Amino acid sequence: MTLLRVAEPQEERAHRLEREFQAVLDAAVDAVVLFDHEGRIELLNHAGERMFGYNEQEVIGLKVNILLPEPYRSQHDDYLRHYIEAGEPRIIGIGRELLAKRRDGSEFSAELAVGRVQGTDPPRFVGFIRDITVRRNAEEALRRSEAQLTIAQEIANLGNYVVHADGKFEDYWSPHLYRVLGRRYGEPYIGVYEYLEPMVHPADRARWQAARDELETSARSMDIEYRVIHPDGSLRYVHHIAQTTRRPDGRVLRQVGTLHDITDRRRAEDEARQMQDRIAHFGRISTMGEMAAGIAHEVNQPLTAIATYAQACQRLIAANDFSQEEVEAALNHIGAQALRAGEVIRRLRTFVKNREVRRELIEANRLLDDVVTLAQTDARHNGVRLVLEPSPQSPQVQADAVQIQQVVLNLVRNSIDAMLTVPEVRREILLRTTVDSEGDVEFMVADRGTGVDPAAMAELFNPFFTTKPGGTGLGLSISRSIVRAHGGKLWCSANPGGGARFFFTLPAVPASAGSQQ
Amino acid sequence: MMRASVTNQRPTIFVVDDDSAVRDALKLLLRSVGQSVETYGAGSEFLESYSEDRPGCLVLDIRMPGMSGLELQQKLNEKHSILPIIFITGHGDVPMAVEAMQAGAVDFIQKPFRDQDLIDRINQALEKDTSNRAALGERNDIRRRLETLTPREREVLDLVVHGKANKVIAGDLKLSQRTVEIHRARVMEKMQASSLAHLVRMVLEVGQV
Repeated sequence: MTLLRVAEPQEERAHRLEREFQAVLDAAVDAVVLFDHEGRIELLNHAGERMFGYNEQEVIGLKVNILLPEPYRSQHDDYLRHYIEAGEPRIIGIGRELLAKRRDGSEFSAELAVGRVQGTDPPRFVGFIRDITVRRNAEEALRRSEAQLTIAQEIANLGNYVVHADGKFEDYWSPHLYRVLGRRYGEPYIGVYEYLEPMVHPADRARWQAARDELETSARSMDIEYRVIHPDGSLRYVHHIAQTTRRPDGRVLRQVGTLHDITDRRRAEDEARQMQDRIAHFGRISTMGEMAAGIAHEVNQPLTAIATYAQACQRLIAANDFSQEEVEAALNHIGAQALRAGEVIRRLRTFVKNREVRRELIEANRLLDDVVTLAQTDARHNGVRLVLEPSPQSPQVQADAVQIQQVVLNLVRNSIDAMLTVPEVRREILLRTTVDSEGDVEFMVADRGTGVDPAAMAELFNPFFTTKPGGTGLGLSISRSIVRAHGGKLWCSANPGGGARFFFTLPAVPASAGSQQ
Repeated sequence: MMRASVTNQRPTIFVVDDDSAVRDALKLLLRSVGQSVETYGAGSEFLESYSEDRPGCLVLDIRMPGMSGLELQQKLNEKHSILPIIFITGHGDVPMAVEAMQAGAVDFIQKPFRDQDLIDRINQALEKDTSNRAALGERNDIRRRLETLTPREREVLDLVVHGKANKVIAGDLKLSQRTVEIHRARVMEKMQASSLAHLVRMVLEVGQV
């Protein structure tokens, strides 16, 4: 900076410059050191004193390289000599990072710039030293945390991204995001959503697009799971969470998101579910094996009625002794009985068929009706009455109908078995549905049988635990795992009037569930 | 005790089955062959209206809630019912059918059945009921005749059916042979016996030897 002053005497000007120079030195944040061509210190400012722990007076005349540890100390002499001999400004004027050394011997990261004082011979030099410990530490910490983040993302198989809508900043893909999306790190940049779009599994695309549109227009965040097909053709499951930051006018400013590859978890879940479904299917087949005689009887009843009606009609017609109403009524009965037999067989088939497990929105009360059809024979043969008490609210549940029927049927059959030794008047099973305070649907199967032995209560739901001769001990264990897989629970308590009560719940279905996928 | 004798009452087929369709179909079938039918949905209902005087046969479902077919059979046996029972059974009910036969059922038929098979069995059962009731009526006649005998005549009868000669009877009862002969003629007359063999058969029939 040059200050222009008019008509200032030479001497006054020199004094003033000196004072100003001193003020600059004192105010400087960096250490300033003046030294001669042999490296002897001529001046060290306040900042320098503080930085190095020396008093200025102590270091005047000492070699400037005492401020540096080896190997910089020796190199410095070489640099200085080189400069003077060859006139080559190796470090002169160039900012350079090195280690500096305090009086107490401790070292710190510093940035050094050296300049030559013009017009002096032999030459004199001025050095600026900046303590960059904080900056270096911060840089180091940042590097470390970035490395750790990358490692964490690799371990979690998760990548993150930032999309700037206004184009002022560059979008960001974390290194591991490339892996999650099947690209090689460093491949040319492409917008995350543009890249994802063709990868999303066709069956999931509409849902993905809807979530994305919602995020774009109004939602603050999205959280969905879907499948993607990698460039190599492999199928992966991802959990995608994203959030938007908006301008006051509502336009999207920025989106940040994570994509989590959850394929392994999903496959493990799928396998566990398939295993559970297979066990449940096995349970149904063995139940039906046990009930086969009763079911055959159940089909035999309508067949007997059909055959008898038909034969009676033939005889009436042959004898020409009939009224039209009589024959019509018989034909109606034949039709109805055929449907009845067909219905038993349909339920049976549905019950034992090894089919895909499907959760659908169904009426809880209908589940009970269907079970009664299957259990009626058993109940009748054992003199047991089945009493239905459906909830007047007609609640709905999201469930696999067959599996829930399996649970109810299992409970009903247990109840029948528990009542074989009690007087016939007591042989009654109450099947009830209610809606609890949280909106969950509670199913109850209550009997008035021998009840559950308190000692057996704890083991009741353990696989292979049974109190029945010839029982597999799987019924309740399978039932509980079915109910749990549906997000409910199954438990048992004593019936105040004697006997046992079994309960299970299925979660409430949100009002909007009907319109969801 | 007076027992029902042979009557001219028309036989009735009593059908007891808890399945209303099967019941209704059986009713139609039996009507088609001109039989008189009454149907009941439970064993207890049938018992309430049961009368030993009514001839016919019982077509009974072996498996029913509440009172089973076998239990109804047992209750009827306790009442010394002579009503023939045809059991209707399902597949796999053979052990129960055997039990029913041992308890005196005349027959059993598996569901579903050919109409002619059921009708044949019913006809056989009705014949059996008729002959049962006839036999029962005859036994009652014999008992009534026996009741007309004086104590002395009864003594003579017992000795006659045991094969004793008049002379031996006279000795046993310390009567003259002539008196025994008179008593004996009175017995033959009162019992309406055409021969000694006939007399013995009648006494054996009512088990009073």
